[in-house]
Amino acid sequence: MVHETIAATNAIVVLDVPLPGIVWGWIITMNMWAKSIGTGIIFITFFLLKKYPEQTGFIRFPAVVISIIFIHLFLFFTVIDLHQMFRFWHIFFYPHLTSAITIGAWMATGFVGLLFAMAYAIYLKKDEAMYDKYLGWTVFLAIPVTLYTAGLMAESTARELWQMPTESAQMILAALLAGTAAMLLLGGNKFSDAIKKDLGIILGLSAFSAFILYMAEYIFGGMKAEEVAATLDFIKGGEYTIMFWIGQIMAFIVPMVLVWMSIKKESYYLLKIAAVSALVGLWVAKHVWLVIPQLLNMS
Amino acid sequence: MQLGFLVDLRLCMGCKGCEIACKVENEVPLSTWRLRVKYVDVGTFPETRRTFTPLRCNHCANAPCERICPVSALHYIENGIVNIDKDRCIGCAGCVMACPYGAIYIDPQTQTADKCTFCAHRVASSMMPSCVVACPVEANIFGDLDDPMSNISKYIQEHQGNVQVRKPEKGTDPHHFYVGGGNVQLNPLASFRGEGHNLFNKLTHLPLGGHH
Repeated sequence: MVHETIAATNAIVVLDVPLPGIVWGWIITMNMWAKSIGTGIIFITFFLLKKYPEQTGFIRFPAVVISIIFIHLFLFFTVIDLHQMFRFWHIFFYPHLTSAITIGAWMATGFVGLLFAMAYAIYLKKDEAMYDKYLGWTVFLAIPVTLYTAGLMAESTARELWQMPTESAQMILAALLAGTAAMLLLGGNKFSDAIKKDLGIILGLSAFSAFILYMAEYIFGGMKAEEVAATLDFIKGGEYTIMFWIGQIMAFIVPMVLVWMSIKKESYYLLKIAAVSALVGLWVAKHVWLVIPQLLNMS
Repeated sequence: MQLGFLVDLRLCMGCKGCEIACKVENEVPLSTWRLRVKYVDVGTFPETRRTFTPLRCNHCANAPCERICPVSALHYIENGIVNIDKDRCIGCAGCVMACPYGAIYIDPQTQTADKCTFCAHRVASSMMPSCVVACPVEANIFGDLDDPMSNISKYIQEHQGNVQVRKPEKGTDPHHFYVGGGNVQLNPLASFRGEGHNLFNKLTHLPLGGHH
């Protein structure tokens, strides 16, 4: 990897230590992917209960169960990625508030607490009003839980590719994409065509917006920073090129096309395929974006 | 007090005495380094020369590692050193991701982050860091940047215009300076790093220290 060398210097590293391997790998990808589903389905549940309260009441319990499952998957992968996982409690007893990890851990804890309160309200108390009251607060906390990873990536000063404005938008879009996809698979044929159309539009627009952001960075990112240009080389003919495009196609292009076809034909069976493709592709897209800045030598 | 470090790259001859002294002093495990010397060959035969660049933690005033650490394991001490409390570290590797200089690693024995501490334990006993003591040509200059009469302050004053830090664009405000360095030495993007062409080994990547 060489970007700023010139023939006159012909500078070649002849002795240095080997580069470290990938520090944040597939476990962190799982973390982000599961979190997108866990918070995203709460956003979509809130939307559906507000817009279609009579038709979507049945999603209250399964939605909160799915969110609990995926948020705990997110927490599980967060903890097992720690090299000293049994010291996880240090985050709560020695908190450092400038760290996005600390903020995220606290927010996620509150979020989990509210999810269990929602489950209690709907499963044990059978109280939809109480559930909906908790839901509002849960949506409120779902925003920082979704965004804190973007803050963490932004605080990773060494990785120039990850910029807060873009990453925060990508995290929200990923949550909307994954949440909608999960809801489409959850609701199945119980949803009316109007609801399916709405979900399809959210899925398609999320995919479209995320794709635009990725392409904007792909094309223009390297024009502002040499490190970004060097990083993007790994997906511009480099070792992650194929994986990058598999992710983009599955997460964004396929869902966009299938949503467009569904709405045009007013036939929504394709949305389930779009949902599966979006969920699988999102993992791949996130993984590539996570790994490639780590391939760059820092010294 | 603000301790800082300066390396006069015109003096360094790449003997790696500092690297070994650091390894011994701090019991740095195999496959990890707190301090290392990078060799970069410049030019085309017969007009070639070899450059040597010791690389260690920069003890930044605006340290990304300190900011990202969720448990304050990485913290400033009163003399400006960015120190690490390995008993508090949870091994999240956020600091590894944040450091623009690649100066932090996961210790495979303790499963915690580790890095150069300017030998804070020696400094506390009024001793110089081990790498300073080991250097046969006094290329390593260590001292108080707040004291205009310290060796490091005088050195910086004498070589104004030729004092550099690594990656100033990152805004980390490093307290580690270089005199006589060039782009090929301080900018990792300015030299070619071939796969499998290191002098003493053919390793290009190591598995991350730890259990992953």
